[in-house]
Amino acid sequence: MEWPRKIVSLLKANDIASISFVPDTVIGRILKAAEQDPHFCFTTLAREEEGIGIIAGEYMGGRRGVLMMQGAGLGNCVNALASLAIPYQIPFLMLISQRGELGEFNACHVVMGKALRGILEALGIQHYTINRDDELETVLGGAIKTAYTSEQPVAVILTTALVGWKDEK
Amino acid sequence: MINRLEATRYLVRQLSDEPIVASCGNPKFDLFTAAEKREANFYMWNSMGMASSIGLGLAMARPEKKVIVLDGDGAILMNLNSLTTEAGKAPANLVHIIWDNGQYQITGGQPTHTGGRADIEAMARGAGFGQALTVKTFAAFKKALSQILVQPGPWILVAKTDSSDAPGRPPKSPVAIKNRFMGALRGG
Repeated sequence: MEWPRKIVSLLKANDIASISFVPDTVIGRILKAAEQDPHFCFTTLAREEEGIGIIAGEYMGGRRGVLMMQGAGLGNCVNALASLAIPYQIPFLMLISQRGELGEFNACHVVMGKALRGILEALGIQHYTINRDDELETVLGGAIKTAYTSEQPVAVILTTALVGWKDEK
Repeated sequence: MINRLEATRYLVRQLSDEPIVASCGNPKFDLFTAAEKREANFYMWNSMGMASSIGLGLAMARPEKKVIVLDGDGAILMNLNSLTTEAGKAPANLVHIIWDNGQYQITGGQPTHTGGRADIEAMARGAGFGQALTVKTFAAFKKALSQILVQPGPWILVAKTDSSDAPGRPPKSPVAIKNRFMGALRGG
């Protein structure tokens, strides 16, 4: 199974029914793998921060959601994480596609790429990185379980080693 | 001008166990003062702007429940893009009320842009809401509620209010607030 389908099957196996996202090409591949499955509902966000509120509302109403975004989007989420999700103990998975590391062509993605894990650590958010297909089940499945056990958001970062990079000079 | 606490008290009297999400700043003080024993109240202590998004998520997860959002003009101006997401998903059970006094009341009354040229109802319509109202008197507020609490939404109601203070303060523990609110949602 290719990584997008494997991710989708792990989300479904963990009762995650709602996908809130700002797309990039990596997230787009996951959405493509999920779109035919009526188990999922999709919310296109205009800005990633909205997703924290939406997922908090869904969780309190009894539905599990995932936030999918590019690393840049984490910068738009910081205060909602710090002042809503973490203190109110709202568990969910943030699935982050990373720019700015291996194979990056665009200098304007590099700084956020370097800052990503530091921001998560400053917030005290557990984060895990997936470089290879065969890590998905353990790392993604395990991260989701830990999020709901700890009642906290948890981040899983998908690197270009897993998803490839844009072939642009 | 509408007195926000009086309007909040009136609103709560029209409801039974519908969840209410109250924004940080004064909406949560009004709601607690009006109905502190009401369990289906969610009080936000921060995350300014997120009330509309929390309400949208809850409305989508629980389509059988009417979900009320009590927002402020400063707060919605901080998350204006959420209007496009609410209008796009368009849950029929969402009622988004925005208390608009044209100022950041809690920080000393500095003017917001709705005190100048910005018009929230017009922005909501531009974002895709088919049903958006602005009311300036308590009588008009009551009349609007009689419509929006009955007819399918989503609804935006902008209520022009004064800047009176409500004395009540909700509990400080976010987890206690969440647990009580979720308990009310499970029970209903």
